[in-house]
Amino acid sequence: MTTGETLWWAIGALAVINFAIKAAGPALLGDRALPPKLALVVHSLAPALLASLLIVQVLGQGWNSFDWKLLPGLTVIGVLWLFRRSQIVCIIAGVLVTVAIRALV
Amino acid sequence: MSRSGSSAEFGWRPGLRVGVGLGLAVFPVAVSFGALATTLGWPGLPTIICSAIVFSAGGQLALLTTLTAGSGLPLALGAATLINLRFLPMGVAVAGSLTGPAWKRALAGQTILDGSWAAAYRGKGRYDRLTMFGASAVQWPAWILGTVVGVVAAPPLTLVESLGLDLVFPGFFLVLLLDSFRSTPRAPLIAGIAILLTGGLVLVAPVGVAVLLSSLAAFVVLIGHGGRSSEPTELAEPA
Repeated sequence: MTTGETLWWAIGALAVINFAIKAAGPALLGDRALPPKLALVVHSLAPALLASLLIVQVLGQGWNSFDWKLLPGLTVIGVLWLFRRSQIVCIIAGVLVTVAIRALV
Repeated sequence: MSRSGSSAEFGWRPGLRVGVGLGLAVFPVAVSFGALATTLGWPGLPTIICSAIVFSAGGQLALLTTLTAGSGLPLALGAATLINLRFLPMGVAVAGSLTGPAWKRALAGQTILDGSWAAAYRGKGRYDRLTMFGASAVQWPAWILGTVVGVVAAPPLTLVESLGLDLVFPGFFLVLLLDSFRSTPRAPLIAGIAILLTGGLVLVAPVGVAVLLSSLAAFVVLIGHGGRSSEPTELAEPA
């Protein structure tokens, strides 16, 4: 059980920490020109982070959130993407497939 | 080329549209957070304030579960911080696309959310800040409102799964990842390494640390670049 005072301190502190983490890159780096090699790395962060976020969402901490029933939906999304369907169509189709799989299995 | 198929639109309005989709996915997660917090003994007001000023599902859940499990304040804050560390490389990536003095850019950085950041990616290392603002502007009230509903109504915690909404975020990241293959050199290789790193690291480290370390996969782009100093923005799109 958390005491009221501890809880308020925890929430306030986390809000400040979160603010600092999100502010660090934009405030410190700004739009200054990075050395070319570093710029190349920064510009390549997107696929690395997107892949990492995807895996974190599917597996979760310690793979505890892994649910194979998400995989058919993700596959459908990938296939529709290949056929150049719009983002929203891809995702709605994936959600519907996931709901169907969960209803059937 | 940036986003899926031919629907690459950026700016406030497209950002708001993306935000509606993400907000629909975020809402039941927030409801679950509010319901879980109430079940575990958090009073309603701090739970709702937490959602309003922290606005981070992973960080809030980490704080909730560690504090209510009896951990001290430093440990609980440490766990939540480690999860939110993923925003650090995202902020670095988006920094060059934000404008104004440092305090303004710091404020703009607060709109960095997983989905908004990903939606704002234009390809070739550039981000559209208005898209990010718009997408976050919808998700923030959805997150607070969902928490209020969770605190007041306390619906079953399986709500998200039963509606298939747990697929929205991974599905969204998948589409944008595939899009990045068209705009970022060596993106498939970088993504493959990041997937292996993340898959292994989440077994032994908090998810924030796993994402942070997996972002190092971006260094692969330097292999073979040797002493050349080509500007990233001038890189040709891969075939």
